[in-house]
Amino acid sequence: MTEVKQTFISFLALTKASAKMYYRNKGAIVFSLLIPIGLLSIFGFLSRGSIASIKIGLTNYSEQAAAVKFVDALKDIHAFKVSELTEAAASAKLAKDEIDLQVVVPKSFGTFKDGKISSSEVQTRYNSGKPQNGQIANLAVVQIVSKMDRALTHSPAVLKVSSEGVSTNNLTYFDFILPGILSMTIMQLGIFGVAFSFVAMKSNGALRRIQATPVHPIYFLLAQAVVRLAVTLMVAAILVGFGTYFFNFHMIGSYFEFGLICLLGIFTFLGIGFTIAGWARDETQVAPVANLIQLPLLMLSGVFFPRDGFPLWLKSVTDYSPLTYLSHGLRSIANEGSGFSELPTDVIGLSLWMIAIYFLAAKVFKWE
Amino acid sequence: MDPTILEVNDLKKTYPNGLDAVKGVSFSVHAGEVFGILGPNGAGKTTTMEMIEGLRSISSGTVILDGIDTAKNPHRVKQRIGIQLQSSDFFKNLKLTELLEMFADLYGATIDPLALLTDVGLQDKASFLVKNLSGGQKQRFSIATTLVNKPIMVFLDEPTTGLDPQARRNLWELIAQIKKRGTTVIITTHYMEEAQYLCDRVAIMDDGRIVALDTPQQLIAQLLDRGFIPHTEVPPATLEDVFIDLTGKTLRD
Repeated sequence: MTEVKQTFISFLALTKASAKMYYRNKGAIVFSLLIPIGLLSIFGFLSRGSIASIKIGLTNYSEQAAAVKFVDALKDIHAFKVSELTEAAASAKLAKDEIDLQVVVPKSFGTFKDGKISSSEVQTRYNSGKPQNGQIANLAVVQIVSKMDRALTHSPAVLKVSSEGVSTNNLTYFDFILPGILSMTIMQLGIFGVAFSFVAMKSNGALRRIQATPVHPIYFLLAQAVVRLAVTLMVAAILVGFGTYFFNFHMIGSYFEFGLICLLGIFTFLGIGFTIAGWARDETQVAPVANLIQLPLLMLSGVFFPRDGFPLWLKSVTDYSPLTYLSHGLRSIANEGSGFSELPTDVIGLSLWMIAIYFLAAKVFKWE
Repeated sequence: MDPTILEVNDLKKTYPNGLDAVKGVSFSVHAGEVFGILGPNGAGKTTTMEMIEGLRSISSGTVILDGIDTAKNPHRVKQRIGIQLQSSDFFKNLKLTELLEMFADLYGATIDPLALLTDVGLQDKASFLVKNLSGGQKQRFSIATTLVNKPIMVFLDEPTTGLDPQARRNLWELIAQIKKRGTTVIITTHYMEEAQYLCDRVAIMDDGRIVALDTPQQLIAQLLDRGFIPHTEVPPATLEDVFIDLTGKTLRD
């Protein structure tokens, strides 16, 4: 009994020391937060910008009320960003692809002649080499003009379209990317964070010094793992908080289950980190192995973009990557509101990886 | 003569790659003495020490420390001894007091960190981080960490390598103090004047074997008996004496 108590005291002392060592290593903390926060911000701003991405350069020569009405109608469309320019400036911008559509309202627009409305033509130009946005905008212009035309000529509208913007889950690209970046961060803190610092302790004699005491070094390893686990969970919470506060991240499922999947991922990737550190003799052996594992996982696990575009064989292979399980699990909970029980593949897949990796760690681990 | 505290009998170490690092070493250490293991690099000093400490497995032979068989009970042996390793440059981001308290907890010992730091002359550095210590201070601190469990025996592996003459002499004082308190000390070193100053008895190792074992005075007397004549006349003072005389004994770190 006293031996169990002493083991616990030792473990606590090692955990406290590990936490202090980590906390005082300010550079590592800043970097483990800076990179994912920077990535989140970039994707956050990109995703926000896409809402008003069709740019229109408008030149209005007419001073009539109808012209003002037309301009207002155009500006009212949410997806358009209308800037009023001279005709020459707008042409130049169109040539440089800085606007998608040029609209010119002639001086005669909305004028009367002999009590009757004179006919006039609104001119539009778009870049035929990149027509998507220009054509969409053009359609809107055509629609506004024909509506005004009907109103002025008092011809009844026979054919109508009724449309309505349906709010689905209001998902943005940001909602897709956050679970991906979170998965990437969990992987990096697990593999790189652990492998480098632990192998350094092996080569500089810290581990040996612990072995010189009555305490088995496995407790030092566990203490290190506990600290990494706590740090990674905190980083995950900060990233989700940051995304929610600044970029309106939508969590449809439960935060608790989201956290559980995070935990499974953290255990798995910490295991990979300790396996590399346990196998390697010094730092020079860590970098190539860690990169060899990390880079393909990062590229092929659907972290930044969906894997739907992959050839079938590649998709089937990457189905089994631990990072695919992690990012897919997190995404399903956050974006689709899935529960734990609806994600058996991800949960079982990650768990199997975790068990396998700790078996491997026990096999290849060398204390010196 | 004091009772035997350590009994090493025909100790051998063969590494998995076939290297015979230690080829049958026997000696005993008396309680309260400073015992030196001397020898060139690769003679097997560190391997011998590590087998005695329970840090490295023993290929054959026995080590009995304070009545305990190291091979069978490394855990109990480690509880009773203090081990200073060659590299002391780790746990950089901890304060001296924090690290001492951590080590004390690993033994279930209660300590007064400040008193311990005073013993090794580092009371002013209590709240320093380990990485901000000089080489000599690191070695003294490293020795302080071996004393947290009030060991009956302390192992020092080349404690003065890389230190300037002032720091080295300061460390000799510290080791002499540890001995004065009744703690047995085993030390490895490359420096003969250090062994001559500190050690009650020395074992000289070469190629995995002990080639001589006696007090420094006896070993010198035996050499002269064999008809040895020094190559040069030994001056009554050494260059190190000149260095210390000119630069003083005060520590520079």
